[in-house]
Parts: sequence; C-alpha cells; structure tokens
Amino acid sequence: MLLELNNLTIPTFDKRKNIVEKISLDVQKGSIHAIIGPNGSGKSTIAYSIMGLENYQPSEGEIIFEGENITELGVTERAQRGITLAWQEPARIEGLSVLKYIALGIKDKSNLKKKVIEALKTVNLEPKKYINRFIDESLSGGERKRIELAATIAMRPKLILLDEPDAGLDMIVIEDFLNIFNKIKELDMTILLITHREDIGMVADRGTLVWQGMSLITDKFAEVMLRYCAKAGLKEFCKRTLFEDTEKCFDEDYIDKIFAEENSK
Amino acid sequence: MSNTEYPEEILQSLGDYNIDVRDFLPGHGGGAKLLLDFNKISGVEEIEGVVLKGREIENGIVADIIIKEGSVIEEPVHLCFGVKNETGVQEIFPRIIAEDNTEVKIQAHCSFPNADGLIHKMFGHFYIGNNCKFSYNETHYHGEKSGALVAPVSYMYIGENSIYENTFNLTSGTPGKVKIMLDIYAMKNSVIRSNIKAFGKSGKDSIRIRDAIYLEGENARSVLKMKAAAKNGGEVLMYGITEGNAPRCNGHVECQEIVLGKGSICRARPFIRAIDPTSTVSHEASLGRFPQKWLDELQAKGLTEEEATEILIEAMLREE
Ligand SMILES: Nc1ncnc2c1ncn2[C@@H]1O[C@H](COP(=O)(O)OP(=O)(O)OP(=O)(O)O)[C@@H](O)[C@H]1O
Ligand SMILES: [Mg+2]
Repeated sequence: MLLELNNLTIPTFDKRKNIVEKISLDVQKGSIHAIIGPNGSGKSTIAYSIMGLENYQPSEGEIIFEGENITELGVTERAQRGITLAWQEPARIEGLSVLKYIALGIKDKSNLKKKVIEALKTVNLEPKKYINRFIDESLSGGERKRIELAATIAMRPKLILLDEPDAGLDMIVIEDFLNIFNKIKELDMTILLITHREDIGMVADRGTLVWQGMSLITDKFAEVMLRYCAKAGLKEFCKRTLFEDTEKCFDEDYIDKIFAEENSK
Repeated sequence: MSNTEYPEEILQSLGDYNIDVRDFLPGHGGGAKLLLDFNKISGVEEIEGVVLKGREIENGIVADIIIKEGSVIEEPVHLCFGVKNETGVQEIFPRIIAEDNTEVKIQAHCSFPNADGLIHKMFGHFYIGNNCKFSYNETHYHGEKSGALVAPVSYMYIGENSIYENTFNLTSGTPGKVKIMLDIYAMKNSVIRSNIKAFGKSGKDSIRIRDAIYLEGENARSVLKMKAAAKNGGEVLMYGITEGNAPRCNGHVECQEIVLGKGSICRARPFIRAIDPTSTVSHEASLGRFPQKWLDELQAKGLTEEEATEILIEAMLREE
C-alpha cells in the first residue's frame, strides 16, 4: 500500500461546513487509481489535502504514506517524500523558462538539460521548440498542462496526483494522454487520477467514487464506474457505451442488479 | 593585454548574469573597449567609427566615447569599471556622444567583488544625436558584503527620431548603498525604453533610484519599467518619473515590487505629469507577495518556501 486515507474530513477555510467527510481509500503501489465523481463532489479538495495545501487541512482522520502518518507535514516535506500534484489549472509565471521550471524538482542536477529534454519527450513536446520558452501567457492551455506533467514526471515522485489532466483537451489529445500515463507507469510511479471522463478512467486499475463529499466505494475501476452510472441513473448509456466490447465488460444481469440495488436505497 | 593583467576575480564576477568579462577583453572580439582597473586605465581599443579616449585623474578617469556620424557599430562597445580592492574611491566622468545617424550598443560592467567600504561615483553626460539607435546596458555586481557605495548620476539628451534603450541591472550579489539619478530628455519623435531592476537582500542594502524621463519633443514616446525586490531588511526605493511636455507625446511607467521578511522596504512609485493637453502619460503598479498558488506549485516540487520565493524573484527580475 502506498497511500491510505482514513476517515478524512476537510472543513472549509472558515470551518463552517465540511467539504468532504470521512473519506477513506487506499492506493496500491504501481497502480493508476482514479477518483471519479460529479462536479463539486470534492475531488480536487481530496488531492489538495493529500498534497498538504494550507487551506485544506483535515479536521479529522489521517493520511498515511508508505506507512508513515504525514497528516501534519507541510507541502515541501510531502514533496520531498515523493508526493506531487499536477494542478487542474497550472499557473503561468512570467520570466520562468520551461527548462528552469522542469529542472526545479530534479534532485540530482547532473546532466540536467538532458533530463529536461527527456521529460519533454515523454509528454510529446518537441524539446527544442519549448525548452527556452517561458511558462507565461504565450503557452496554450494544453501546452502548459503538458509542461506541468513533464515537470512532475522529471521529479520521479512515488505518487503523482493528477487533477483532471484531460480538462480542456480535445479528443485527439486524449489518446496521447493515455500513452503518457502508461509511460509514467513504466517509470514506476503511482498515479492518483482525478477525471470526469470514463474513457480516461478506463486506463485505471482501481478507483474510488466520491459523491457529495463522501467516498462511496473503492474497487476495480469498472466496478466503480458502474456504481457511478447507477447513482446517476445512466443505465442505457452504461449498457451501450461503457462496458460494451471491453474486457472489463459485465453481463447485463449484473448491471441490472447494481442498478436495482441503487434504486432501492 | 593578456587576461592575467586584469584581476581574475573581476573577470569571473558576472557569472550570475551569464556574462563572461573575458569575452570583452582587448584582443577578444571585435568591439571597442575601455577597461579601468580601479583608477588605472588598463586597456583601450578603438575601432573604426568609435573614438575612445581616457585620462586618469586623481581618483578615477575622464573619458570620451564618440560614435562618429553615420557609423553602424556591430559589436558592442564595452566599458569595464572594476575594482578588486575592498576600499577606495573610483570616480568616472564619461562623456558619451553618438553623432547623427549612428547605431551602437554600449555595455558597461561595474564589478566590485570585494567591496567593503568602496565608493564608486559616476557623472555621465550622454548626447545622442538625430536618427540614432542607441542602447546602453549597465550591469552591476557589488560583492557579497553589502560594502559598496555606488552613486551614478547621468544626464541624457536624446535627439530627434532616435531610439534609446537603457537597462540597469543590480540583482546579483549584495548591492550595499546605491543612489542612482537619471534624467532623460527626449526630443521630437524619439522613443525611450528604460528598464531598471534591483534587489536588496539585507538590512545593509539600501537602493534609491530616481529615473526621470522628460518628453520634450512632439510625439516623443517612452516606457519606463522598474522592478524591485527587497528581503531580510533590505530597502529599495524607486521613483519613476515621466513628464509629457510636448504635443502628442506618450509615456508609460510600470512598477513592480516584492517585499519579503521583516523590516524590508520596497517602494516602486510612478510619478507622472502631462503638461501638454494632447499628451498622455499612464502608469501601472503592483506590489506585495507572490500568489500562494505559485508558491504551492513550486513547493509541491520539493522546494522550501524560501527557495520557491527566490526562484520567483529571479523570474521577475529576469533579463528581458
Ligand atoms: N475554501 C472553500 N470554501 C467553501 N467551499 C469550498 C472551498 N473549497 C471548495 N469548496 C466547495 O467544495 C466543493 C468541492 O470542491 P472541489 O473543487 O473539491 O470539487 P471537484 O470535485 O474537484 O469539482 P470539479 O469536478 O468541478 O473540479 C465545491 O462545492 C466547492 O465549491
Ligand atoms: Mg476539481
């Protein structure tokens, strides 16, 4: 087990209400673990709190990383232990070059440029076109997200929290991202993937469904997705598109059974 | 002259700016140059179109730098004012004249790597003729002991249809006490771009810069950018002045500042005035600290808050 959240409750900054409550899940080493759930269900909040950001400190529960309780640690310390986050919308910082930015997280500074070039290749950006550019407004949203991904990969962390890497990208690019995830996996990193898209989620080994601030189920991804569809009442969609012709396919009876269970709640 | 005659420490001192002074030594590169080793002229090289004359005086030099009419000078003219001593006084009185229809870049490197009670003063007069392209870049390094007192004063006259670019950089090392005054008079159709950057790093650093641009000719235009950062009790005060005194002239002042740590003071203030009703002068200012998200992003890559801030300041003060 790489990461474990036990009964994590995260209040809003003013402590007036809880954004998520009693979240529990576990992420296995070397896996791609997807967190799915509708807008506003608390997915980003969970990622921020795993990263240790200031306004997302839990009021209850604990975060265990490689057997160590890291709930009280700051962002830097968590990053130094091997956790990093690729933001849903990474910032643009004038004056900071792509080379310098990607190099930031590389601990062993020998052959630095070569490592940066390698990282850019991993996210399918042509190194010589990008390495001397700046991460300012001149980059498109997709380019900026890839550079962010390159920077996190270059760090060689143990766990990458990816908050909607697919947001704002077109279909053609999605294919590309699936390849990138596989490359990351080969590099022995674990991915916690937050996404809205079932097609992206399909690369995941396991998943957790977050619904209205609660973690409902953690299981094999297909199982989690099925439960999500049942919750949302998307039976036809589920049968026709989601599990058709995939190796993760369920038989119709099983799908009917899950939907019936959900309806009777 | 071989490298060994010029103090090695000075040659290497601008590495943080990606400048290797060796590239500018006599016998290297094709540019005209004048090197001052404390109060002694240790090298002069003229090229066609550039007159360089220096005369040693008690505490420094008087120098004439003339770009002859119509000359387009490809390689930058290099002025190096180095002092390796800890103390002493270096005074420079340059007179820089760009005659009409000339193009030139002047790079001045002022390096005092061991300064600990050292005084450097300059009184500069710049006369830029008509239809010129003139760029003046001054990069400073004052060592790591906050031990320099540096006080340059310059008057610059920019002729009609000329483009004048001025950059001043004092971001590496510890500045010490710095007082800079710059008056630029811009004539008809001239364009002025002035970029100033300074970083105060300790309570012993105090930087005051007053950069004034007077748009005196019709349709003269200017952009003045000042970027300042102060940490650990350092003080940076910058005054960016622009006056629109002629018809249809247009000036803009931009100030950006970051203050960190207790006791640090950083002020980058625009002062603008438009006397002529058809002229426009505007300003923009931002101050404070970096957005938390920027810090979070860098910290999530394993940097401490302090390291992240350094990187962001460096980015802000980057050479343009
Ligand atoms: N600081 C805060 N104060 C109050 N409410 C907050 C705060 N931060 C987040 N919330 C709320 O908590 C809920 C969960 O937000 P979160 O960003 O985690 O959702 P999400 O699942 O990532 O959504 P999306 O899919 O749109 O990215 C939202 O309703 C949001 O408005
Ligand atoms: Mg989100």
